[in-house]
Amino acid sequence: MNWSDILTTTSALMQGMGVVLILFFAVLVMSIPLGFLLTLCTRSRFAPLRWIVNAYIYVIRGTPLMLQLFFIYFGLPTLGEPFVTIFFDAMTCALTGFALNYAAYFAEIFRGGLLAIDKGQYEACQVLGLNKWQTTTRVILPQMIRVTLPSITNESITLIKDTALVFSISIPEILHYAKVAVSRTGSVYPYAIAFVVYLVLNTILQFVFKQLEKKTAY
Amino acid sequence: MKELICVEGLKKGFGGQMVLTNVNFSVAQGDVIAVIGPSGAGKSTMLRCLIHLEKVDGGTITVEGKPFVKNGVYESPAQIKQITSRMGMVFQSFNLFPHLSVRKNLTMPAMLANGQTKEQAEKRAEELLAKVGLRDKIDMMPSTLSGGQQQRVAIARALMMDPDIILFDEPTSALDPQLTAEVLEVMRQLAAAKMTMLVVTHEMTFAREAANKILFMCDGEIAEAGDPKQIFSAPKDSRLAEFLRGIK
Ligand SMILES: Nc1ncnc2c1ncn2[C@@H]1O[C@H](COP(=O)(O)OP(=O)(O)OP(=O)(O)O)[C@@H](O)[C@H]1O
Ligand SMILES: [Mg+2]
Repeated sequence: MNWSDILTTTSALMQGMGVVLILFFAVLVMSIPLGFLLTLCTRSRFAPLRWIVNAYIYVIRGTPLMLQLFFIYFGLPTLGEPFVTIFFDAMTCALTGFALNYAAYFAEIFRGGLLAIDKGQYEACQVLGLNKWQTTTRVILPQMIRVTLPSITNESITLIKDTALVFSISIPEILHYAKVAVSRTGSVYPYAIAFVVYLVLNTILQFVFKQLEKKTAY
Repeated sequence: MKELICVEGLKKGFGGQMVLTNVNFSVAQGDVIAVIGPSGAGKSTMLRCLIHLEKVDGGTITVEGKPFVKNGVYESPAQIKQITSRMGMVFQSFNLFPHLSVRKNLTMPAMLANGQTKEQAEKRAEELLAKVGLRDKIDMMPSTLSGGQQQRVAIARALMMDPDIILFDEPTSALDPQLTAEVLEVMRQLAAAKMTMLVVTHEMTFAREAANKILFMCDGEIAEAGDPKQIFSAPKDSRLAEFLRGIK
């Protein structure tokens, strides 16, 4: 093993970086608003909606993400159309599975975040004449995001690591290329490089979120 | 004097336990009314019913001639909002928006709920902050202010909406004596400027000096009402006499 081997292997692993980053950003962008929507549903005055959404969160959080991915990728298409068409592409399945899964976790985080907001904030909004939408978007959401930012950071770190699961539905990501390199070279160091790659990603992520926390501190 | 608020037969309970049994009083324009009474008498609940933070179980509340609840029956939400929007409220715990600067605390609601333009709101915010002695704090975050300063910002925020009356629920109870004094000073100024105020307070000096009328609440009703002189020197209700003895 020499530097040029390391370089070759690293650049091979980098082929999987695109998938990891796409999954990461797309899933965050979809699951955070979806999660908040779910949180609002769990607080709805319409009881059946509360039950359905709570059951959904319960099932998603209580079962493996890998099973959920298999269910979407291998399972649903066996039911025929329209699933065959919709879930033909593995990446679509991965994005769907991850977004639905992470939304449930974010819903739980946001539920806690809302509980942390003083009821005096709602009352101040009401006596000032702000309507529900204004209250939610201008007062409650910003405070909730601030309160839950550390948990969002944790969830994002998990998300980066979880992207490795799409390996199981044959999407080539970092782990896939590491495995290929291991068989090609018959040595363990490609895995070691994969360790470093994930660590670097998460270090950057934590740095970014720390900055965000500082910026939104009050 | 024009009658701003009229409360008749107000009733309110929590889970079967009656907190307000029968509250009747009225507020005229320019009145500064102090509401006093023992803990648990229902003072906060009464204020909260007035501004629709609690739903009443019975009675009529009329604001500027328009009842938003009549014999326990409420008007439409839009009507209620329109009628109660003439009132402002200042809370014991200030309830400033912690994520917004002092400036935004004042301008955001004024623009969104009161239709003021950004320029109008900014100008008014500066004037009102100057009035409460905090012009230089306009770009600070609430958490960097003392409690007394926060409460003065909260008063300025209520004034931004040009209310006809401001309800205060123990505005100084969370404050040290020194900070209490600065908030009371602002309230005295408002009183002198003929702002109508309904103030739940344990500050008897303020009640005696700044108010033109005292309501003594006890056991869910107004047990005695009168001018400060009479209330403090010649209480008729035995519970009031006892209450006054207790705080001396
Ligand atoms: N949301 C609520 N749910 C149940 N009971 C309540 C609620 N709010 C108030 N109460 C009860 O109503 C009674 C009157 O409370 P309220 O806060 O109006 O009294 P107060 O006169 O403001 O007292 P204090 O001087 O301590 O502020 C109390 O017995 C209180 O426990
Ligand atoms: Mg009270």
